Amino acid sequence: MTISAERPTQVVASSVAPPAKRGRKWTQRPGWLSQHLGMAIVGAILGYIVGHWFGNYVSSSYPYIANSGSNAIANTLGLSVGVLGWLLGIGALNYPLAKLIGREGREDAPVEGWSKYFRYTLDHKVVGMQYVVGVLLFLFTGGILAMAIRTELLNPTTHVFSADTYIKIVSEHGTIMMMMATSIVVGPLGNYLVPLMIGARRMAFPRIEAFSFWIFVAGYMVIFSALPYGGFPTGWTGYAPLQTQAGAGMVSYLLGFAVIGLGMMAAGFNIAVTIINYRAPGMSWSRLPIFVWSILATAALLTLATPVLFAGGLFGLLDKTVQTAFYVNEHGGSSYLWQNLFWFFGHPEVYIMALPGFGIVGEIMPVFTRKPLFAYKVAAAGMIGVALLSFFVWQHHLFQSGINPDMRPLFMLTTELISIPTGFIFLVGMGSLYKAKIRFEVPMLFCMALFFNFLIGGVTGVFLSDVPVNVTVHGGFFVLSHFHYTIMGGLLFAFMAGLYFWLPKMTGRMMNSRIGKWHFWTMFVFFNLTFFPMFVIGLLGQPRRVFTYATNLQGLNDFSSVSAFLLGASFLLFFANLMWSMFISPVKAPANPWDSLGLEWQTANPVPLYNFERIPVVMTDPYRYSEPGAPAFADLGEGASSSASTAGSSQA
Amino acid sequence: MTDTFSKPKGRSESPEEREFELRAQIGSIWSGGRLFIGMYTFLVASLVFSYFYLRSSNNGGLWRLPHQHAPIAYGWSIYLLMVATALLANYGQRRLRKGDDTDFQVAGWTGVLCGLVALFLQIWQLTKLSFYPGSSGYASTFVGFAVMNLVNIVIGTYWLETTLARSLRLRRELGGEKPELSKAPHPASAQLFRAGVASMAYFWSFLAIGGALLTAMFYVM
Repeated sequence: MTISAERPTQVVASSVAPPAKRGRKWTQRPGWLSQHLGMAIVGAILGYIVGHWFGNYVSSSYPYIANSGSNAIANTLGLSVGVLGWLLGIGALNYPLAKLIGREGREDAPVEGWSKYFRYTLDHKVVGMQYVVGVLLFLFTGGILAMAIRTELLNPTTHVFSADTYIKIVSEHGTIMMMMATSIVVGPLGNYLVPLMIGARRMAFPRIEAFSFWIFVAGYMVIFSALPYGGFPTGWTGYAPLQTQAGAGMVSYLLGFAVIGLGMMAAGFNIAVTIINYRAPGMSWSRLPIFVWSILATAALLTLATPVLFAGGLFGLLDKTVQTAFYVNEHGGSSYLWQNLFWFFGHPEVYIMALPGFGIVGEIMPVFTRKPLFAYKVAAAGMIGVALLSFFVWQHHLFQSGINPDMRPLFMLTTELISIPTGFIFLVGMGSLYKAKIRFEVPMLFCMALFFNFLIGGVTGVFLSDVPVNVTVHGGFFVLSHFHYTIMGGLLFAFMAGLYFWLPKMTGRMMNSRIGKWHFWTMFVFFNLTFFPMFVIGLLGQPRRVFTYATNLQGLNDFSSVSAFLLGASFLLFFANLMWSMFISPVKAPANPWDSLGLEWQTANPVPLYNFERIPVVMTDPYRYSEPGAPAFADLGEGASSSASTAGSSQA
Repeated sequence: MTDTFSKPKGRSESPEEREFELRAQIGSIWSGGRLFIGMYTFLVASLVFSYFYLRSSNNGGLWRLPHQHAPIAYGWSIYLLMVATALLANYGQRRLRKGDDTDFQVAGWTGVLCGLVALFLQIWQLTKLSFYPGSSGYASTFVGFAVMNLVNIVIGTYWLETTLARSLRLRRELGGEKPELSKAPHPASAQLFRAGVASMAYFWSFLAIGGALLTAMFYVM
């Protein structure tokens, strides 16, 4: 269809909803009575108490619980009802309950000011900002635990923690970081930017979007609750039979995965449906920004792979609570079943983490090179190819732990195959840099670093896909370094690039460039100094998750630890920059500080509640930089077209 | 599944934009319903994989103890009730399309009743097991299946009930003796409602077809 050129004179101010007619609903009451974060916390605590009491009430007489000192049923019910209380307190259950009596969703009047960030809101931009804070909280917690790990590894014989405590710290660190990493781009940037980039005024299912965030936070708390329960000793992979033997903290791990899994499914589902249905007129698939392609591929993976993790967690919880034997070899189950279910999710998860990073750099590079994205269609096809192939490689995680040897070559081959579309995406980046006049702004520096880091992470990944190498270095620091290079060196650097690039749009304030460059260089240098020695440490035989090691490796470990502390300090620079630029000395951001052609930069600043006063009509491809006289990317109505042609020609 | 919200009043939209939004919302309900089934398929596939994995592994010869059977009468009753609900949901949807809202209501509420009975039986069946959950691989996967089936029935029945409750309210909102829920010309809310009904019926068909496989696995094989 075509959108009419008829343009009403009413503009942004009219997009604010009038207050409800008959006074306020109870959910909108001011202060402590309304539904907000405070009520959610109260709901979670009350829910936990009620659930735990009920669990004890129904199961304390069971022989396997009596005198065991641990009641997994009470713990599971406590945490589950706690999550329900949390959702009830924040208001996530109002709509599903109202539907029981046939009420359709009604949008409350938007809350002004800061308090909207502590509420269940249907505005995708608020949810995006909530996610920014949420993932940074995850990152900070996981980072503190990383510092604890490196502190312990300063000396092979003098210990800060006991072996038991150490493995629990490692496990918590891994689990928190992995769960954070699955949402670090899709959550904040995907939710905030995708509707803007595709010219939509809203998400397809805004309540599901809000649900995905608040359940994500609940999942974080459930996983974190493992620590007061005594932790879990399995590492982030939760392998049985250790899983079966572990104490109460394991329930938090299994339930936490299931709860966060719900959030991941909800987020992926909503974003995929939005991209399919809410693209502005004229935005064909071949005009979709590459970041949106990457988010679409990721959303597909989240939607289809996460249910398997959810089921795996559910079976584990059944083992813990009602004494099934899914993962108990002695009772007809199999510990390998967990490995299969876990990695069927776990390897697509690697690409859930990698693809959005590629999407960010693909989106940012044309802006700072003033060139079209090289081989755009190859990049999009590469992302889809990676997403598809990622479902066929999970068994390479089992090369060493029990796969039928005859199956190894097949999964070695599929794993090597996936490096081809990944290589396409990498080459697209290189092609975009070729003969470019690069502006080395902070976001671009992070993009360049991603390629450096991912090259190392990717090439070592190809090595690891080969059975002989895999078997040799399995369970050691080589593998650890490889996945830190891909996830932290790839995704986290891309996330930083994205934050520095889009925060001016999201907040209306510029990040300080000088502190940003200090942040970049310290993070880049100390990241490499931390993790590159770990390849050597791994090849020399140091295993993961063990708190002691051969004394001849102390020098390398100390070097790595000190670098890690400095890497941690680089994040303090980032937080300092964030505080400085947003609160202490804010500098108003120009409407389009990077001269981007992206649709998200063409709408008003701050972005109106419904994003675009008129639904834009997309006129051309998204990356026509350096083409003097190129048509505007989109017609935004009111006779105003996007600043595409201006930006494109001025930088040509 | 419909998760739409009305836009604030006072914001002007051209008719083309309204039509665009409506098409997007209907498309979202349609593709969301299908994607939800895709997601659900992977969930059910995890159980199917677990079943065949443990069955083929047969660790310690403990896949299934001799004479270990799940309560078959309960199992078949639950499945047949789910099939009945699916048939009723689809029948209701067809009748609604042809303009008979009353048939849709009767079929739908009968479906809800079947769903609730199935739910009750599924819970009751768990109290009547003749084996311990951890006594074998089969016993474990059966308990997993029962829990998953419980969730299936709850979600399906909730979806059906909320659809019916919505239709009752829509009748009041749209007014008239025979509200235009089923044929053109129709207001946007009626179009969105019909898209939701179609997705709901489709989901119940999925539950019935998927249930056939699971029932065969646990009660026949």
